[in-house]
Amino acid sequence: MYNFNLSVLLSGQYHDWLVAGLLLSIKLALLTLIFSLPMALLIAVLRLSPVSIFRAAAIAYVESIRNVPLLAHMLFWYFGAPEILPEPVKAWLYERNVEAASSVIALVLYTSAYMAEDIRSGIRSIPKEQMEAGRALGFGFLDTMRLVILPQSLRLTIPPLISQMLNLWKNTSIAMVIGVGEMMYQAQQVESASFRSYEAFSFATAAYLSISLLITLLSSWYQQRYPVRSA
Amino acid sequence: MFDILKNFGVFYLIGQYPHGPLGGLALTLILAALALLFALPVGLLLAMCRISPFPMLRLPVTGLIYVIRGTPLLMVIFWAYFLLPTLTGHKTDQFSTMLAALVIFDGAYLSEIIRAGIEGLPRGQMESARSLGFSYLQSMVLVVLPQALRNMLPSLVNQFISSVKETSLGYIISLSEVSFVAGQISTQLMTKPAEIYLLLGLTYFVMCFGLSRFAFWLERQLAVRSVKV
Amino acid sequence: MKKSNVVKFAPQFAALALLGCVSVHAMADQLADIKQKGELVCGVLGTDEPFSFIKDQSSREIVGYEVDLCNDVAKSIGVKPVLKQLAVAARIPELQQGRVDLLAASLTHNHEREALIDFSLSTFITGQKVMVKKSSGVNQLTSLAGKKVLTVKGSSMEQNTKKALPTAEIVSFDNSPQAFLALQQGKGIGYVNDETSLLDNYSKLGAAAKDYTILPQSISTEHLAFGLKKGEPAFHDQINKVLHNLEVSGEADKLFMKWFGPSTNMHFQQRTFKIATDKID
Repeated sequence: MYNFNLSVLLSGQYHDWLVAGLLLSIKLALLTLIFSLPMALLIAVLRLSPVSIFRAAAIAYVESIRNVPLLAHMLFWYFGAPEILPEPVKAWLYERNVEAASSVIALVLYTSAYMAEDIRSGIRSIPKEQMEAGRALGFGFLDTMRLVILPQSLRLTIPPLISQMLNLWKNTSIAMVIGVGEMMYQAQQVESASFRSYEAFSFATAAYLSISLLITLLSSWYQQRYPVRSA
Repeated sequence: MFDILKNFGVFYLIGQYPHGPLGGLALTLILAALALLFALPVGLLLAMCRISPFPMLRLPVTGLIYVIRGTPLLMVIFWAYFLLPTLTGHKTDQFSTMLAALVIFDGAYLSEIIRAGIEGLPRGQMESARSLGFSYLQSMVLVVLPQALRNMLPSLVNQFISSVKETSLGYIISLSEVSFVAGQISTQLMTKPAEIYLLLGLTYFVMCFGLSRFAFWLERQLAVRSVKV
Repeated sequence: MKKSNVVKFAPQFAALALLGCVSVHAMADQLADIKQKGELVCGVLGTDEPFSFIKDQSSREIVGYEVDLCNDVAKSIGVKPVLKQLAVAARIPELQQGRVDLLAASLTHNHEREALIDFSLSTFITGQKVMVKKSSGVNQLTSLAGKKVLTVKGSSMEQNTKKALPTAEIVSFDNSPQAFLALQQGKGIGYVNDETSLLDNYSKLGAAAKDYTILPQSISTEHLAFGLKKGEPAFHDQINKVLHNLEVSGEADKLFMKWFGPSTNMHFQQRTFKIATDKID
């Protein structure tokens, strides 16, 4: 019968591997978040812009990214895309941590496409007249957006953005396919080095769940603290 | 890219079949369809428990759904991989492992869609059915669910899109679905990874974008109908 | 009172029931099982030429040295061979859980694994070496210290590299062609594999082969063998008998020449080992 040995997880080299994995997962998620938020905002605004080329480009971006699994994005950005770069850039990149860089690129593109849609629907919930009034007062499209529409839509947009954060946190696990030493990769490493699969996967599951729980709590705290005002 | 398709097209579509197991794009589609088919009753059951008046049913199921939604699908796949044979005493292959993981995972997400569908109906529906003498279960099955399910159709198509995308993770347990096959082709050719993964992305895009247009169309149809009513 | 007792002991009952299932399962003789279901399930990699790989795109069948050996075992039992493709890291779990009967998956016989599974007579003996790009300037193992080295997840290469090059930064992939691809793309300095696989990879480089070199020192000597479940003496004897007979009849030599001989990409002139022992150093 399998005997579950908790001590493997609490100290020693396997413990160190797992903790290193957890920390890298958190880093990946935070880094992605920092880059995806402005990117998502840009795309959401483009999608609502009065210029049709901008709108089309934003739609193409969102649809082409959301309809392809993250795994395929990862494989493409790691194995495929860098090959197109000129030789010196490639050499420079490959001397650094290209695994982590490719995974962050894939995660940022993927996450920002989803976040852009959430921001857009938040903006659309603000009555059209607001934009018209802003424009009539002599503000440009961007200024009206920045000063009038976005601040109002924030309350409605934050909860779905937090739930995208949860998805992002879970999605970091897919980076294991391109050799990024995050949580899932390290759990598998421990499993194949020590054959202690249940311990390794329990650790990883507990780690994923704890952070997910934190994000969920953040979301319910926000919704209680800043409830959506009905017009 | 056309050269790749000419040489590896059949492999890409059906894997080793008929000289080995079915794989490739065909396997992806079959897996996604079966996952949704089995996840529906699971989701329905979970949703019923989630809104049930009995805490004995409601609390553990609510907990379960939170746990599944807080865990990456990859983790669920690994657990299915290691636990299923021990729990069931049967040898399970990669296909059934993946299917089981998808059914559990999608079941939890579907249950939330179904719950939202039910809670989105006016409360009066349940109350008037009960006052006509139907039991809770009868009112649910005969009055509430048929309406809720109809409203949910577009969400169900969207869930199918998610399932198609999720099957790509079978790659990690060497299930020969389309992403795994693409990886194999790439390693055989060695010099064309950009083209092959672009082709892979394009394949998913055509399937999923087509489906999402279909969901959009369904939504419009349903909206028109409910306005008429 | 009573109820709480039942609740308290429920986990034990569950464990007992589970134990029951497991032991009943293990009591049956695997060889008899295989005969009864009429098929022998061999776990192969399918990505490791010439051990097991897809040779021909029109048939898309997995063939190779280990596939032929597996077919011989199946023939001797009088059942149909069934191939199942596995990831490197999944090999031992798949065997332990009974999803495959036999591992014919470029599996290295080492002491760590002996605690988990049994091994047949060694079917192949090779050294593990490192391939580098000539432009990297690396010409011996020690120059790889602190450099990025590419291997395969859950393989003996990964473990041996950690031992031989403790300061190297190891990046592991799901299969060896992916690691090789990463070397070509320059994503690492060294790529570790069995010498046979390295030779095969080298031959596939074509004109670019002149830019690569295989370091002369081995990081370890590898005995490849079939892996099977522990505690199956009848099945174990059957496999060893087949392998022994292949060696005696000269069939083993023919198989070697078919997959590794001068007419193949591998260009081995002769075999430097015999299928004779399951002892490793």
